[in-house]
Amino acid sequence: MAGHWGIQFSFVALILFVKLVSAEHSFENTAIVRTVDLGGSLVHVTTTYAVKALEDDSSIYTIALGEDEAKKTSWMQAKVKGQTVPLQLEKFGLSPNTGAFLYAVEFPKALKANGTANLVVETVQTHATYPWPKTAAQNEGQSLKYEADLFILSPYPTLVQRTKIKSQFPKIHSYTTPEGVDAFTLESPVTKSGATLTYGPYNNIPAFTNKDFTKSQQKRIAVQYEYGNPILEITRLERAAEISHWGANLNIQDNVWLHNAGPELKGHFSRLEYQSQGYFRRVAPHTLSSLSLHLPAGIHDVYFYDLNGNVSTSHIRYAPSVPKGSSSNHFSLFEFRPRYPVMGGWNYSFTLGWDAPLADYAGWDKESGKYIVGIPLQTLYPGAVVDEAEVKIILPEGASDIKFYPPFPAIENTISNYITYLDTTGRPEITLQYQQLTDRHVGVIYVEYRVPFSAHLKKPLAVATALIALFALAFTWKRVDTRIQK
Amino acid sequence: MAAEFDDVCLCARRLHAPCHASSSPLLLPLPRTTVSVMASYESIAALHKNIPAFSPYIPVAVLPYLAFILLSVTFGLTFYFSTIPKSTFPVHEVSVASLASILGGFGVVALFCSVGVYV
Repeated sequence: MAGHWGIQFSFVALILFVKLVSAEHSFENTAIVRTVDLGGSLVHVTTTYAVKALEDDSSIYTIALGEDEAKKTSWMQAKVKGQTVPLQLEKFGLSPNTGAFLYAVEFPKALKANGTANLVVETVQTHATYPWPKTAAQNEGQSLKYEADLFILSPYPTLVQRTKIKSQFPKIHSYTTPEGVDAFTLESPVTKSGATLTYGPYNNIPAFTNKDFTKSQQKRIAVQYEYGNPILEITRLERAAEISHWGANLNIQDNVWLHNAGPELKGHFSRLEYQSQGYFRRVAPHTLSSLSLHLPAGIHDVYFYDLNGNVSTSHIRYAPSVPKGSSSNHFSLFEFRPRYPVMGGWNYSFTLGWDAPLADYAGWDKESGKYIVGIPLQTLYPGAVVDEAEVKIILPEGASDIKFYPPFPAIENTISNYITYLDTTGRPEITLQYQQLTDRHVGVIYVEYRVPFSAHLKKPLAVATALIALFALAFTWKRVDTRIQK
Repeated sequence: MAAEFDDVCLCARRLHAPCHASSSPLLLPLPRTTVSVMASYESIAALHKNIPAFSPYIPVAVLPYLAFILLSVTFGLTFYFSTIPKSTFPVHEVSVASLASILGGFGVVALFCSVGVYV
């Protein structure tokens, strides 16, 4: 199975952690700027490293994340500023001496001594915020708290660094003013401008070579801010994509377990309060009353039901098909209302599925004699994190010589047998398990497989066999005399 | 497990990378398997985009009509089967039953696809 995660774990590098402590540095950070875009379930962090090489042929740059930050980071990408192609990220894991998680990137061209480059590292953190206060009444607002380390860790000395924390909504209730940072700045350690907090600039941050820096100098900062959208978590997502060659159809069905991770509802739910809020268009921010999803173009026969049955409170605006493999902006808009408003701490589970022409997703490679299909990994729910995802791709009966290429390596993948309508031997089913999917985990899982013509005849022949058995029964019945007396 | 400097250079040489005396031990080129995996995904994506779109052996629009015709013929043949007199060598019965079964098999598959159960 091929993967395209961009971060690979190198066992060779495992044995090299300790040497980082005593190694000399071939780079210097002239400036580091970290921008934190506060959200609900997801927090986007962009760190720009202005790097200067201290010796010739410097090509591999090491990035460090604090332990807490690394555990929350679910997606990571590094690029040279101005370029679109991301760099390969090599993950080295926890460095025991420094207590930081290390990653390495290789510049496309090695830098000469005093050569400079700007490296942009984007990460997405999940479960990095929590409601504060933890409970809220139905007519109260919603606030979240975000915590992070003050100083950006790096194995190279940094001349100047700053951290900007931006909130989508204007109100920031409180924030930490760090103390004891006089060694690094003579100005105010934090400034606030509207909905943006700027920590820094901090000068001459040494390279962290051991845990002493983390213990003695590193500070913890916290921001409490208003957040005006429901905080969505999908605790579990089960996606099944079933391919039918006879019907030239791709059916995708999502079973979703949705959780509102906002402040828990204080007191009881009042339908009267909810209705009046809707009438005056002042629905509380922690109430999920409706959602709009972008489904693929070209789909038809969308269905949406939960445990009680069909949920009729939905609208779908279909978009016409787009060519296979095209990066089109067209989408079908699905607006739905859960059966009940999902308050903070509440859950709602439902099933959403649709059919789509197989020609929009699959093709036939004449040279290899194989079909290649591209299955979307997930449907994005605005601002939501997917804690656990299971993606199943069910191939036609008789498929063989199967290879699959996910955009991100799965935690676990298996191929099993799946039996459904009119099956005899069953169909191959590829199952991929993922965790902590974010809005950046968009991609297509490619599967190539071979289905001979004879495999397509299995179903009609299976039905024909059942029918011939009935005919055989009738044939026998005609020749058996069941009369008691002749 | 600690690695001595010589081990660092040894690892570097195994990966065909330059080994700088003053370099961080992490300054090793990325393994070739990582690069080949990325290239593999990119190539399958490009191939998927360029190959002709899937086309079924029987057009989907024809399936409802095909289901109607085949199942009607199957029904007729079944009725006819019931009228065939017994004989020592039931060639006629077997042939009619076989033909009805084959047509019924394809008709049922077409029917399933027509009503939205895409088998």
